[in-house]
Amino acid sequence: MKLPYSWLTELVKVPAGVDAVASALALRGFEVASIDNGVIDFEITANRPDCLSVVGLAREASAAYGLPLALPARTPTSGSTSDAPQLDVTIEDAELCPRYCAQLFELRSSGATPDWMRERLEASDVRSISPVVDVTNYVMLEMGQPTHAFDYSKLRGHALRIRRAAPGERIRTLDGVDRALDPEMLVIADADRAQAIGGVMGGAESEINGATTLMVLESAYFKPASVRRTSRRLAKKTEASTRFERGADVAGAPAAIARAIVLLEQIGAARAVGPTIDRYPFPRTPLALTLRAARIQHLLGVRVPDAEVPARLEPLGFSVSAAAPSGDLRSPTAWTVTVPTYRVDVQREIDLVEEIARHDGYQGLPATFPALTAPQAAPDPRSLRDRLIRHLLTACGMSEAVTFSFIEAAAADAFAHPDGLVRVANPLSEKFAVMRPSLLPGLVDAAAHNRRRQHDHIRLFETGTRFRPAGETRAVAGIWCGAGVEPHWSITSQAADFYDVKGVVETMCRAFGVDPAFEPADVPYLVRGQSARVGAIGLVGQIVPAIAKARGFPPDEPLWGFELDADALGSSGRGDDLRAASLPRFPSIVRDLSVLVDAALPAASVRGTIRTAAPDTLTHVVEFDRYRGKGVPDGRVSLSLRLTFRSAERTLTDAEADAAMTRIFAALADAHGAVRR
Amino acid sequence: MAYSDLQQELERDIASIKTAADLRAVRDRYLSRRSGKISVALKDLGSVSPDERRVRGQALNGLKQFAEAQLDAAERALVSAPPADATDVTLPGRTPLVGHRHPLTLLRERVEQIFLRMGFYIAEGPELEDDYHNFEALNMPAEHPARDMQDTLYLASPVPSADGGRAATLLRTHTSGMQIRYMEQHRPPVRLIAPGRVYRRDGLDLTHSPMFTQVEGLVVDDGITLADLKGTLVALAHELFGRDRGTRFRPSFFPYTEPSAELDISCAACGGAGCGMCKGTGWIEVLGSGMVHPAVFEAVGYDPERYTGFAFGVGIERLALLKWGIEDIRLFYENDLRFLEQFPL
Repeated sequence: MKLPYSWLTELVKVPAGVDAVASALALRGFEVASIDNGVIDFEITANRPDCLSVVGLAREASAAYGLPLALPARTPTSGSTSDAPQLDVTIEDAELCPRYCAQLFELRSSGATPDWMRERLEASDVRSISPVVDVTNYVMLEMGQPTHAFDYSKLRGHALRIRRAAPGERIRTLDGVDRALDPEMLVIADADRAQAIGGVMGGAESEINGATTLMVLESAYFKPASVRRTSRRLAKKTEASTRFERGADVAGAPAAIARAIVLLEQIGAARAVGPTIDRYPFPRTPLALTLRAARIQHLLGVRVPDAEVPARLEPLGFSVSAAAPSGDLRSPTAWTVTVPTYRVDVQREIDLVEEIARHDGYQGLPATFPALTAPQAAPDPRSLRDRLIRHLLTACGMSEAVTFSFIEAAAADAFAHPDGLVRVANPLSEKFAVMRPSLLPGLVDAAAHNRRRQHDHIRLFETGTRFRPAGETRAVAGIWCGAGVEPHWSITSQAADFYDVKGVVETMCRAFGVDPAFEPADVPYLVRGQSARVGAIGLVGQIVPAIAKARGFPPDEPLWGFELDADALGSSGRGDDLRAASLPRFPSIVRDLSVLVDAALPAASVRGTIRTAAPDTLTHVVEFDRYRGKGVPDGRVSLSLRLTFRSAERTLTDAEADAAMTRIFAALADAHGAVRR
Repeated sequence: MAYSDLQQELERDIASIKTAADLRAVRDRYLSRRSGKISVALKDLGSVSPDERRVRGQALNGLKQFAEAQLDAAERALVSAPPADATDVTLPGRTPLVGHRHPLTLLRERVEQIFLRMGFYIAEGPELEDDYHNFEALNMPAEHPARDMQDTLYLASPVPSADGGRAATLLRTHTSGMQIRYMEQHRPPVRLIAPGRVYRRDGLDLTHSPMFTQVEGLVVDDGITLADLKGTLVALAHELFGRDRGTRFRPSFFPYTEPSAELDISCAACGGAGCGMCKGTGWIEVLGSGMVHPAVFEAVGYDPERYTGFAFGVGIERLALLKWGIEDIRLFYENDLRFLEQFPL
């Protein structure tokens, strides 16, 4: 809402310059968007439609500076003629239109918009069109009350019927668009058809023009929710609809006509004919609220002297009764406050408390701190878990990424769950059309972005939510390309491979105390033979090059990734259930073993056979070499493992270890045809 | 003097010392008790006249001291000189790579730490919400004009909620739904923050993003006041931006709070004089807040006559832009490593 400083000072003689006035009103809740050439542009919050007007802002300024507000003249200098052409105005739906006023005018071609009015309109970005239209716009800017002009001669039956649109009814509006109406929408119709959409826009048929001699000026109060719904349904927002949908002043309808009569006569553009028609079938009684002194202090944390209460409210148009004892023992002093009709935002006591607090822009409030009255629970376990995940993965050399939760369908498809994707009904663009089914597509994009910017070695991870038709789950995912170990002058650089990424996954699993089995995976977005299922909690492997390529990542460079269900990782081990084990008291015996086995035999099978055949004293088995090539027959592989034996009760003998190894070799030969090397 | 040859020989030998073994050999050659040249010469003095013995003895002892000093110096030089097979300590070491947290995480965790110190609980909740928790319970019934303030992204079809409640129909526009969920399940006192991603139907440009990170707070108890809100938020601003930044707590409007307030900090670019960055006002808006609206308490079954409370919401992206002078919000979501690696570990 643009407020020309010169217009303001005509209503309130503020003793301050434009910048000071802007600051004073900002502290009363009217944020300043800009100050330009003597015009302050305020951002009016949705609760204050009364301040979508010069008078409304002037009233705030008068309260801020404690100065009187001089309202513009609303009493016509000459009376209107008593005999007027016939005009029947009927409210057929008083729920959607509680009040409707209309006034007939005789137009005069001699009138012209004076410079002062044109300048004020232009300062508010309103183009001057004709004296009559300019006056209606001027009244709206001044008072916040939209009006609409009909050409009387175009109204069939000389009637205005305020009713819901008939099924299938259509109207061509002032902007030349032919619009379909529905029975939820309010129209202003003549005897036959809709001539305006109530509170939104007029119709083209009855628009006034140079040939109009008799004009009907409408000034009404429409139900805010109805205007809002109609405006949204028609995708048509106007200056009028913006004001009506937030709530106009029900008393403002006749007042705006009175003001228009004065202005139209003043500039010689029109003369009122006959009395103002005012249809207001169920007049509203002004809202009266009880305001308790103790409640003010209870909410604000500061005592406001009783005398201050009327002093702060009355300049804003509230009428305040004398302070009286109330029935409420906790708050002996109370006032009855009558709310002016234009303050549609003030509906309960709390709203009055805000008016009291707002008076000094909260500047008088002390800065205190809320007392801690109970110990607080530990954060949601998911918060702690995600923090541990971030610690682990940054320690693994991965940097954290944040990618969008909504992505292109094309990027999501390969990662979609068999149930399908979660789609956004009203996406901003195709780029943000579906909710990500996995964190990997976003990370692939991030890898491609970095690769295009000459980063060769990329390790990124993300924690976040992924979406399926069955619901949302939390995940952690990572992506890795380039070197496995950071390049160093002492080594020949080696590209990252499956075991680099698997190692990260294993570190995570260990940290959360889960021990999943790794099995070959077959999913559309990972390369078969280079990927694994991580138990039931996730996947690890090489991203299919065609998918990476489609997102701009070089297809000839392997891109590795993993994704785990973060919820399945459980919460971070806080050690609550832990009992520290005592350290071993007896030495261990270490034995190495090398066998030739089938190259396709999973190492896990060999390990399993060893564990089954070994006595309980086997504490640890780990592969330390895997060799194919010279000396190893085709299709076979030489696998070397280190076994550690230890007893908690005594020192093991070599003979015991040897016996165990013999059994193990026998079992391996038996189960896998293993040949000892 | 008769020993000048011996001294020259000694100096030559000392100059040729290269290793610890050389040093030992030279020391033995001259000073070994039994066979060292100087030791032997001293022993030989027994066969000369007393006068000559005194003169020669002085010379020999001087030479002995000289030899010892020179050998000690050679030893010191040997120890401090790098061995031939020395490690070049100036070559880069093998640095275990440590990744960077995202700057949004960095700041979010910072904010979380500030509130943890103030005794707040950290709540987590769903990103897909139902209309009731996102709007209705927050005093924003259908057709409420304030819904325009946060143009909403809707789901094409409803998604079941994890807690078996209402199916989700939209992407949460704030994390306030979690506050409602928490109040539905707990009695006061409440003191929590709810961090997380939120979504609005905003195009992606320099300063806007359809997805951003919010931390919302809620405190409910007997006797919580607007002054408490002011104190809490000013403390937050001072922690994040330094004690010397000016703060301004001023009236605003949100449907779920009454009275509502916004917190501004003085513009860093102009120091409060007014510039393009602060639109000439000298102040930069940081966050929105207010006293919990009685209608919200009624929705969750709290007695608004007994309990009062405050709520606030702060955008982490906005804090980051202000704090680190980042000019383009899109940098947060591109994840360029050159950007990410600027921020502290």
